[in-house]
Amino acid sequence: MNEILLVEDNPDDVELTLRAFRKSNIANEIVVARDGVEALDYLFSTGAHAGRPPTLPQVVLLDLKLPRIDGLHVLERVRAHPRTRLLPIVVLTSSIEEQDLVNTYSRGANSYIRKPVDFQEFVDAVRQLGLYWLLLNQPPPPPMPT
Amino acid sequence: MIEPGRRHLHIAVHVIAIAGLLLVALTGRIAYRTARAFPEYALWVAHEYEGGAEADAAMRERAGRVDGAVRRVGWFLTITVGLSLALLVTSHVMLVREISRREHIERALNDANRELESFSYSVSHDLRAPLRSIDGFSQALVEDVGPQLPPDAVSHLDRIRHATRRMGLLIDELMALSKVARVEMKRERIDLSDVAEQVVAELRRQQPAREVDITIAPGLQATADAPLVRLALQNLIENAWKFSSRRDGSTIEVGQMRDANGAPAFFVRDNGAGFDPDYAHKLFGPFQRLHSVAEFPGTGIGLATVQRIVHRHGGRVWAEGRMNSGATFYFTLG
Repeated sequence: MNEILLVEDNPDDVELTLRAFRKSNIANEIVVARDGVEALDYLFSTGAHAGRPPTLPQVVLLDLKLPRIDGLHVLERVRAHPRTRLLPIVVLTSSIEEQDLVNTYSRGANSYIRKPVDFQEFVDAVRQLGLYWLLLNQPPPPPMPT
Repeated sequence: MIEPGRRHLHIAVHVIAIAGLLLVALTGRIAYRTARAFPEYALWVAHEYEGGAEADAAMRERAGRVDGAVRRVGWFLTITVGLSLALLVTSHVMLVREISRREHIERALNDANRELESFSYSVSHDLRAPLRSIDGFSQALVEDVGPQLPPDAVSHLDRIRHATRRMGLLIDELMALSKVARVEMKRERIDLSDVAEQVVAELRRQQPAREVDITIAPGLQATADAPLVRLALQNLIENAWKFSSRRDGSTIEVGQMRDANGAPAFFVRDNGAGFDPDYAHKLFGPFQRLHSVAEFPGTGIGLATVQRIVHRHGGRVWAEGRMNSGATFYFTLG
């Protein structure tokens, strides 16, 4: 079972998301990237992650507001690269501004979830998200080794 | 922005008018010279062919009168054309100045709007993050060490969570209110009766157990922005539904009447809790509530939203009511 890549800069949100996954009995390993650069380094085995075997996470949970490289740019870079262009990406953010919805969907996000303030609702959202993307959804075939 | 097409049209009209006046002045000048040459010619004819000092003197006198008249007409024409030209040039200069002044204001307004938009964006995004932490970790405490906590502490944590969620709701509604002010409007013909029926159907679906007697006048027509008016009507009908919930035999009426000036106004009437008319002026302010949250839930944003929508249409909104004997909300749509 492949890991989940959580791209999130707010440590509280990281902690709460991990807690929500635990409470939903989702046992996949969760890798946390604290900004867009770390996320891209992880996905492309570059920088701090140079030499990492070129496997891809089962799903990426991507915040939009991130230090250095923001979520939209991460999305663009992931979709532009043949190795990662089919990778399932779920945007997980505070905003429901129309511009964010349009921008992320037009750049090829697979799903858009707004983090609710109510933690119970958040746990429910994470449980459904895990159920859907880790169990129900058939992932794209793994990329050809380059 | 003033559309470039219209500005060009203004300038073209002025150029044509100025050119026309110049042409009039020129032809006037030619006609004047010709007319002045005429008495000279008449005099010459009188002298050459008719002869005699008598004819000559009579001719001379007549020529003098004609010459005076021509001179007056000439002056009149010159002054009129001159004044018109001066007026046109001045109005043209003023028009150009007005256009640039307006463009300047519009640019400043656009800048302010953009700033406000990015401000609202950070408010909705960044204010919610700490709320999530407060709510999430409060619940984590309850879950992890709840059994060891004294009952008071658990209740305090509950209060913290409750307040947090309420603030989340307030932020969302405030954002929705600011969006009502920013969103672009498109006026079209809409059937308010239809919209009201849809709102009521949705309420009945959400709370099938409630029995409310609802009358909607058929064929209420308006020319307005459909999504905004729908939101306004939804707020008013939901209020009527909510504030009539604590009595038996609630009734809601949606209809049309004429206001004091005879202009058509729509209204939503209920027989619910009403309000103290002394505080009627507070009804439409954001976060203003005339009933406690415990009595009737809500954030106090609904009527502020209604007012903003009505004002954007150039309309008026007002309310009539008394404590415990229902309320009527009226609005016009410009």
